[in-house]
Amino acid sequence: MADGTDSGFSEGQSSGPGGSSGPISPDLDPLNITTSTVDLEESLDMGAEGDPKSTGDDITTLTQSSLAGLRLDDALASDVHDLFVTVDDPEKHITNMESYITYRVTTKTTRSDYDSHEYVVRRRYQDFLWLRERLEATNPTHLIPPLPEKHSFRRLDRFSPEFLKTRQAALQKFLSRIVDHPTLSFNENLTIFLTAKELASHRKQAQGIMGKMGSSMRSMAAGYMLKNRSPEYATMQEYVNTFGAKMGTIDRINQRLLKEMTDYQQDLREFGPVFTLWSNSETELAPAMLGMASGVEKCEKALDQQISDQEHVFAPPVKEYILYAEAMKAVLKRRDSIQMEYELTVEDLSRKRNDREQLKMSDQSYSLGAFLGKDPEEVRQQKRTKLDSQIEELLKQVEVSNDSVECANADLKADLERWHRNKRRDVKEVFSELCDRNIQYYQECLSAWEETLQEINQKSELETASTLATPTSSCPDTPNLATPTSSITPPLPATPTKGGTEGGAAEGQGGTQ
Amino acid sequence: MADVGSDSAQEGGSEASTPSSSKRVTSLLSVMEISVTEPERRTGVTAINMKETYTVYLVETRITDMKSELLPETFTDETFSLWRRYSEFELLRNYLCVTYPAVVIPPLPEKKIHMMWQKLSGGEDKFDPDFIERRRAGLESFLLRVAAHGQLSQDKIFHCFLHLGENWKETVLATGYQNKMDSRLKTLNAQFRLKNPDRRFQDLKNYSSELEANIANLLKIRERLAERLYGIHKIHANYGRVFSEWSGIEKEMGDGLQSAGHFMDVYAASIDSMLEEEDTYADALKEYLYFADALRSICRKQELLQYEVEKLEDKLVYLKAQKEQMEQGGDVKSGFSLKGMTTKLFGADTPETRDKKIKLLEEQTQQTEEQLQAAKWELSTYIDRSLQDVERFKRQKVRDLREIFINYSIMQIKLCKKGISLWNNTKECFTKM
Repeated sequence: MADGTDSGFSEGQSSGPGGSSGPISPDLDPLNITTSTVDLEESLDMGAEGDPKSTGDDITTLTQSSLAGLRLDDALASDVHDLFVTVDDPEKHITNMESYITYRVTTKTTRSDYDSHEYVVRRRYQDFLWLRERLEATNPTHLIPPLPEKHSFRRLDRFSPEFLKTRQAALQKFLSRIVDHPTLSFNENLTIFLTAKELASHRKQAQGIMGKMGSSMRSMAAGYMLKNRSPEYATMQEYVNTFGAKMGTIDRINQRLLKEMTDYQQDLREFGPVFTLWSNSETELAPAMLGMASGVEKCEKALDQQISDQEHVFAPPVKEYILYAEAMKAVLKRRDSIQMEYELTVEDLSRKRNDREQLKMSDQSYSLGAFLGKDPEEVRQQKRTKLDSQIEELLKQVEVSNDSVECANADLKADLERWHRNKRRDVKEVFSELCDRNIQYYQECLSAWEETLQEINQKSELETASTLATPTSSCPDTPNLATPTSSITPPLPATPTKGGTEGGAAEGQGGTQ
Repeated sequence: MADVGSDSAQEGGSEASTPSSSKRVTSLLSVMEISVTEPERRTGVTAINMKETYTVYLVETRITDMKSELLPETFTDETFSLWRRYSEFELLRNYLCVTYPAVVIPPLPEKKIHMMWQKLSGGEDKFDPDFIERRRAGLESFLLRVAAHGQLSQDKIFHCFLHLGENWKETVLATGYQNKMDSRLKTLNAQFRLKNPDRRFQDLKNYSSELEANIANLLKIRERLAERLYGIHKIHANYGRVFSEWSGIEKEMGDGLQSAGHFMDVYAASIDSMLEEEDTYADALKEYLYFADALRSICRKQELLQYEVEKLEDKLVYLKAQKEQMEQGGDVKSGFSLKGMTTKLFGADTPETRDKKIKLLEEQTQQTEEQLQAAKWELSTYIDRSLQDVERFKRQKVRDLREIFINYSIMQIKLCKKGISLWNNTKECFTKM
């Protein structure tokens, strides 16, 4: 039972919304971690997470490095600041059998149950999977954070740098969430994961224990038959289903947007060069056209960044929350099955009690025992004794079961509350980031076009200056020549150009009134 | 539309009284305003008694300076208007093309849709309101350009177009302009080789091809870009909807999500007006696409005239050679000659016949010389005038295109500013969450 952490947790609830709060009061920070995080911060090479007075600015910096940095549980008052984990440095390994990627997992801690202050190990995706399975098995009442999907469907290249970067960030997030969890962070499997040189042996051991789930198998499918499920769980279920669906929708919209943006970029890439090509056949307009071309090119570059952001900054969190919804469904089911277990036990008990009542009035003369020659009264007594002991057993079971249910409910409730808080913070962060990036994109485009506008205007003045200076060889703007009706004019030896009285007027076509 | 009036007027079309401008009030546009508005559907009967539906446009003229000398006498009212349909504009343009061959005549908006990418946007239907509006704008631009041209604006038929309600068509036909249209001009598509092509017109031809290709390319890509951008913005409406739905299940986040969703809808809707504006710049560019064609026809006419000259020169050479031959007593030259043949067959000419023939040749020679002079004169006048107008055209083009680019850039800047403001608002929804 994680009682201690639960109460510690509820205290943490009052630390206010979001991630920022005042200085940590000393009694909630027994290890005096927050003030000493500065050192850790440097050595961990993380973002500005250490400062407890995180304000908007810091949150932005936090956001920027959040992918590589540490995610703090928002309850800064909780005592979970003694374990920090980072995931980085993907490396490819090639053996005869297969090739795969490992990531470096660095742990820094002041916890007494860790032998050392720092650990560095290499783990591959399978190891993370193992960890998650173990956590689920040993903490069925808790919401276990999700892992990124095993396969990426879009890219076939699971070794591409972008894919690795995205996966690394997701794995980092996974571990951070676990490490921030008051119960899960103390799980021995986590310790093994973080510290053991080699995980393979531990993994093999664990295979057999998968059966622990078996006992509640019979109640797994029966979740919907719960009699006394409090309506709040139905609400939770509904929420999770709808939430998951919405996340799925957002993910699909993200993908469509990505495609459109990519197509748009393709066309933009062709647009600029057309201006450049055109400028080759123009003289006065060439600078203006080149200005247009450069404006387009700058926008295209800004768009490049947008596209990358869309794929690598905004899509992954949504995917994570889709998986989170699945994890929530799973934990709700497990809670349901624990309650099911309890209810079945209660049912058993009630049946046995019933049996006992019945026994009093029953006629044992036709029982099996009597048939075998025993005295019916004795048979009754035997049966009665048996039932009594069964009932006693069941009573104990009911009590245990009831405790389980209450525990499970409490764990779930706490986890969900934490999850909602984290979710709100994540949504805030990610979407603020989305807005920032869009703002930046438009700002870059804005300055590109302002520059282009300048270039277009500027040359026009230069030209005007030059047209004024050098009278063009031709003619008065609108030819005041003989009108066509006088085409009967006598054939003269043709002399070109009547004198040019150009000059004077502003841009060429002068006489601009 | 690009500022057509800059040919002879400041923006706005009415005259400005700056010192440098007051000495050159050379076109009609400086003293009046023309607009093409209010497209309406009409039904009528064709020449072969078939029912047809067509669109008419209201052509309104408003005179700003009633005292100006430029005004034709017939323009006695301050404002007047009449209805014209596309075919009448076409007639006007054809008339102008024939009557002023040396002028780069402004183009009309297209009659049919011939570019694929236009078909996609529903431009195929000639009664589609979008198509009609863009056509209207093109027609207006055409009239403004004609009115801004020193020579064209003084044409009586043009005045009648603006002013004469009835029988305008008959008036045009009465000018017999179709006859003036030489059979030479009718064979504009004929192929022929010039001995000494005029370099200036070769260059002009090349230039016009390049202009056409570049603009066509630009317009094609711009259309694609517009579609993509439209798609991107509309997808954000989907975000708006899902945020709104999502806000329904959230407690503390509900409000923030709801307002963010609203801004996404605004963002999605903002693209419509921007693209409409962009369309007008695209149309302005398209005008120059058609101008390229007008430039090419200028070149062709020059070529035709020069061809005439060269033909006559050749004839002259031939006649002179003939005469020489005769005078030298009809010596049979080596090789085949008709003279030689006839001499053999019929005997040589008598002295009288020879004299007659020589005289004939001399007459012909003189005639040809006169024709040649006329043709040369026609050619050089044409070259002068056309090159002059081409220069005018080029200056106008520089102004117009620059303005298009400026407007396009300003539009982009506006779009960016709107985007920045919108995403700032959206961000607030989240930071306040």
